[in-house]
Amino acid sequence: MSTHLLVIEGAYKRFGGVQALNGAALTVDRGEIVGLLGENGAGKSTLVKTLAGLHALDEGTVDLDGQPFHQGNPRSARDQGIAIIYQEPSLFPDLTLAENVYVGQQPKSGGRVDWSTMVTRTAELFAGLGIDLDPRRQARGLSIADQQMVEIVKALSVEAKLIIMDEPSAALSAAEVERLLAVARQLRDQGRGVIYISHRLDEVFELCDSVTIMRDGATVASAHVADVDNAQIVRWMVGREITDMFPKVAAEIGEVVLDVKGLSSRGEFHDITFTVRRGEIVALAGLVGSGRSEVVRTIFGIDGFDTGTITLEGRSLARHTPAQAMAAGIALVPEDRRLQGLFMPSSIAHNTAITVLGRLRRGLLLRTSSERKVATDWAGRLQLKYASIDDPVERLSGGNQQKVVLSKWLATDPTLLIVDEPTRGIDVGTKAEVHRLLSEQAARGTAVLMVSSDLPEVLGMADRVLVMREGRLVEEIPRAEATQERVMTAAAGAAA
Amino acid sequence: MMTKLLRVRELPILVALLILLLLTGILNPAFRTGDGLTAILIESALIGFLAVGQTNLIIMRHIDLSVSSTAGLVSFLVGSYSMNHGGVTGGVALLIAIGVGATVGIVNGALVAYLGLPSLVVTIATLYIVRGIFNYLAAGITVTADQLPPYFSWIGSGEVLGVPDLFVFAAAAAAIMTLVLRYTRWGRDLYAIGSNPPAARRVGIPVAHREFGAFVLNGSIAGVAGLMLLSRFSFADATAGLGIELYVVAACVIGGVAIAGGVGTPAGALIGAVLLQTIAFALGALGVSQFWQQAVAGALLVAAIAFDRIVAMRSTHRAMRLVEVPV
Repeated sequence: MSTHLLVIEGAYKRFGGVQALNGAALTVDRGEIVGLLGENGAGKSTLVKTLAGLHALDEGTVDLDGQPFHQGNPRSARDQGIAIIYQEPSLFPDLTLAENVYVGQQPKSGGRVDWSTMVTRTAELFAGLGIDLDPRRQARGLSIADQQMVEIVKALSVEAKLIIMDEPSAALSAAEVERLLAVARQLRDQGRGVIYISHRLDEVFELCDSVTIMRDGATVASAHVADVDNAQIVRWMVGREITDMFPKVAAEIGEVVLDVKGLSSRGEFHDITFTVRRGEIVALAGLVGSGRSEVVRTIFGIDGFDTGTITLEGRSLARHTPAQAMAAGIALVPEDRRLQGLFMPSSIAHNTAITVLGRLRRGLLLRTSSERKVATDWAGRLQLKYASIDDPVERLSGGNQQKVVLSKWLATDPTLLIVDEPTRGIDVGTKAEVHRLLSEQAARGTAVLMVSSDLPEVLGMADRVLVMREGRLVEEIPRAEATQERVMTAAAGAAA
Repeated sequence: MMTKLLRVRELPILVALLILLLLTGILNPAFRTGDGLTAILIESALIGFLAVGQTNLIIMRHIDLSVSSTAGLVSFLVGSYSMNHGGVTGGVALLIAIGVGATVGIVNGALVAYLGLPSLVVTIATLYIVRGIFNYLAAGITVTADQLPPYFSWIGSGEVLGVPDLFVFAAAAAAIMTLVLRYTRWGRDLYAIGSNPPAARRVGIPVAHREFGAFVLNGSIAGVAGLMLLSRFSFADATAGLGIELYVVAACVIGGVAIAGGVGTPAGALIGAVLLQTIAFALGALGVSQFWQQAVAGALLVAAIAFDRIVAMRSTHRAMRLVEVPV
């Protein structure tokens, strides 16, 4: 028996006018973790969905465990030993964790669903992975990290041979990522195959045994991790050299735009004081849950605060609404573009121009031609890849969607631009472009406040780094002194 | 055990029901004889029985408003068959009930499950279509007690240990369906579908088949409810069953079946039906006008969903706190 667990060869798949897979190949051995890399739209998702049984290839062969893989049926994919952990796990919030693990395959005794066996087995699987959760609790309210653990337990419950993790770390804190990587190694050591998809190359180097790189629907390279370096992988992914990941433009730092003093909100954050100046990029670093997003939400007027002051260009803001914040010159590019940033079924033009509709009005009516013009201008400036400006944004790739969110806020010509995790889940090529845009915006005199969990991004882009921990601002580090170690130590506290 | 009991969704509604019965008994001595209770149970049997099938659909985020027309049509068809043939056997009556009911269910189910049309609109349409056919067939015809075989009124007025037959029937249906939902994969699939439809598809649950099946079952239940309607009143004309569909939905929601899907039981829906009816009786016993009774029923509906919402907000809030503890 060969050691190959999964062999995909010559895979082709077309959706309408898009050739999603164009000669893709992938091999995974038993007891191996393969990093599957590529920019957004390279075809990774299509390949994963094929293995999930959500669609069948037009052409090509898939062999699993020496047998031809029966395609196009999710249940059959699971029965053949494939399990998938998605970036945003989809549990059933109303059902118990035990039932989430066994949904569709509940153990039975005497013809009826055997609840106690279900709970016992789930508890055993949880214990095996060191997960401290009650199998009888509802899935509602579970953190993303815990939801992923439940999904992994689900994979173990069916004795999956091949486990695919699709960008599982995107929404996790550092400690949660460590736990995830440990579990992935445990799965490998049990002789299972693991496919690990991530945009974070450091994780890939830390975890994977080999990498397969896709571009434009085809596999461009496969190699052992030991034989390649970061730059080589990026070259394969983008097909060109990225000379500067953090194109920082020298900007003249001017007067104070945002002045926050002693800002507190009970249970969220306490005594936050900082300023952001014209032309300056200030990064708000810290662990997930340290209160960073809450602070920027408060500045933008989404949440209220108890004590302290927020002053924008000398004007005090209190009990303000997001509409008033916008009128005052603040723009907030939210963390979750799907839920908070975009109207997915609406057109690119409509999404871009929505923030400036007041300016495009003539009498009571909107002029759709000027809506299109504004959107086309911005699409050009941000090098958006699109077919028609009237296409719904849900058809764009993740990176291009993020550009639409950015352009919609840049269109308001803000004096203070707040971005929350601006490059999460975006490929390296687009990431560099987003960085260029932020930098140019600062050079034009905008004050930029950036919440980010991506340390190289924080260090590469920020003029000053503010570190939050447990709702407090614990350290302020100027650009020249900022290092990964210093930021992490401040973020994690003495315990780390 | 105690905490588990307190988590049961149906508990608050059951407590509310008992308190209401107690209060009414204190304020109106005539209510204490037991006749009041019997009357409540008879009146709530039909709505409660229909709520059993409706629960399956609401759990999956669907709804079927056509049940009132289906039940009414069946009661008239069986009645007029008896009128024209000098009687009707139980077998033929059931055949008509399930045949007509399942047909409406198949139409609803096929349009919703396989064509992807919204169930609210589809079943409003079939509500009118079936009612239209019914009006055409029943124009000017009234079926009365003397044209029906006597077993209809025996069932309609009979009792088992003091509990009306019709209610025993509805309670048995609710109990069986509650167990089916809890202890079969078919039942668990319905909860999974309502809790997260795309995820249900992803784990390979045959979502469309489940939806279709539940619509056909609900149609059949509505058909059988037509027989209950006939037994209860020994009378059928073009107005039979008119307007009861919203009471059925209200009973489900008051009984803890969330309109957003994923939770609730037929047993709860039956309790909801009894509570609705109890309020009508209690207000009547206290001398409040019938118009106010409807207003109170509406207020109760809002209270039920507001209660649900507040509980949900509390638990989400607590969960958020948990997440925020730094790791």
